Amino acid sequence: MLVVMAALTESDADLVGRCRAGDAAAWNELVERFSRYVYAICTQGFRLTEHDAEDVFQDVFTRVYTHLDRLRDDEAFRPWLAQLTRRTCIDRIRLGGREVATEDVEPGDLDETLSQLDESLAIHEAMAAMSDNCREILDRFFAHDESYRTIGESLDLPAGTIASRISRCLDKLKSLLEETPPPTRPEAR
Amino acid sequence: MSTYDHDTLGRLIAVLRPVPAGWVRAAQELPAARRGIDDIVDRAVADAAYRERVVADLESALAEVGIEPTPPILDELRERFRSL
Repeated sequence: MLVVMAALTESDADLVGRCRAGDAAAWNELVERFSRYVYAICTQGFRLTEHDAEDVFQDVFTRVYTHLDRLRDDEAFRPWLAQLTRRTCIDRIRLGGREVATEDVEPGDLDETLSQLDESLAIHEAMAAMSDNCREILDRFFAHDESYRTIGESLDLPAGTIASRISRCLDKLKSLLEETPPPTRPEAR
Repeated sequence: MSTYDHDTLGRLIAVLRPVPAGWVRAAQELPAARRGIDDIVDRAVADAAYRERVVADLESALAEVGIEPTPPILDELRERFRSL
């Protein structure tokens, strides 16, 4: 089965708490939950090359693992991670040699991009509450750019039904988002 | 409360693209990698010949204990040896 965003069976804070206690499964889930977010900050926020993005990606999760004790509010994990990724991207760009001010390293539209990534993460979190089938169809079609035919073959569904399934799943997602208040987003400290 | 139409939802789902194969697994293996680094360092402290081999080829030393030698892992092992 295609790997999609990890199902949100617990809050970020609870997950972080389990990671800090040395729970290997929790660490796997945390990486899975936030991997696309970190990757997107690198490639969309800072437009790093794939090679640089891979180094930053691994560096970020290494720092998360080693510095998790420094996080003062587990509820603030997401903004803390965003800040950590932002700083690691800047360090990577500066590694190129030139001494440049932070504002010259950061793309002018960075805040707008990060805001969109946060909104997308919230959508993916809402998707985690959907059925596996809906979550997988939406992720395959929109995030993986798979065709109706490919999705149909992978999930053993008639290709002609995929469009209507996508529409129904989007309706469900819309309802979920309207029913559920947006998660509190504390600032990083 | 925000309301979303289908186009907006599709666009926002598409923003978080899949991470290239192998990256997530490498990050998930970090705890095991750190334990592997600890083992390498402990052995290097006790065995001078092994220590020389490790210093000469950090990547092979990591590969021997089943750790993918990503740049952060290499940096950490290098740092640990520097402080020995």
